[in-house]
Amino acid sequence: MNREQKRALAIVIGMSLAFVLCVAAFVIHRLADASPKPLLILASVALGTGVIVSFRFKPDEGAVTSDERDKLITKNANLAGFGAVYLFIILASFAPIGILGEKASIPVTSLPFLLVGAGLCQAFAFFVAILVQYGRRGQG
Amino acid sequence: MNNDHITNQIRRLRFNHGEMTQQQLADKVGVTRQTIIAIEAGKYAPSLPLAFRIARAFNASVEDVFQYEGHDDIPADPAERT
Repeated sequence: MNREQKRALAIVIGMSLAFVLCVAAFVIHRLADASPKPLLILASVALGTGVIVSFRFKPDEGAVTSDERDKLITKNANLAGFGAVYLFIILASFAPIGILGEKASIPVTSLPFLLVGAGLCQAFAFFVAILVQYGRRGQG
Repeated sequence: MNNDHITNQIRRLRFNHGEMTQQQLADKVGVTRQTIIAIEAGKYAPSLPLAFRIARAFNASVEDVFQYEGHDDIPADPAERT
């Protein structure tokens, strides 16, 4: 595994954990009417740990650490990230209509969270695409 | 759909050149060992400059290292293509 793969793996694990915890927090808040704060804090810690760990990997050994294949993989991963943002925007535009109904209203203060969601979505797709392209054993 | 496939003789050439390791070849042509592994396995088609650098590392021509196994339905003679 090279440094990019290790970074991607740490961030994907952190984000996946955070996502699961956020879903659990939402379900607990809706069904049990309990405070979702502890789980949301845990989710933030999971995400933060993934990001911090990703910066702690040492640079690869060897004369060359990045080449044309790595650039191609990064380029494709960026494309996957932007594709994911489009999908997220489509979902975020239509999901409220489907869930809340045509006559419902949502507070405008929730709209900036779309930016955060789009950013997280882009990052997740980017790092998953990096892992997929390098292959399961890290040598593909 | 693109069914073109490029095979290569890198593994054989490495062993014919004093059992050169993948890392040695990678350092010689300026790429990572992972890229050499991917090229050897046929999972990555190198750029033309890299293909030339690999061929040069073995003192061979590009055709000696890489073989194109794609469709031959395009006539070699440009006059026949029209």
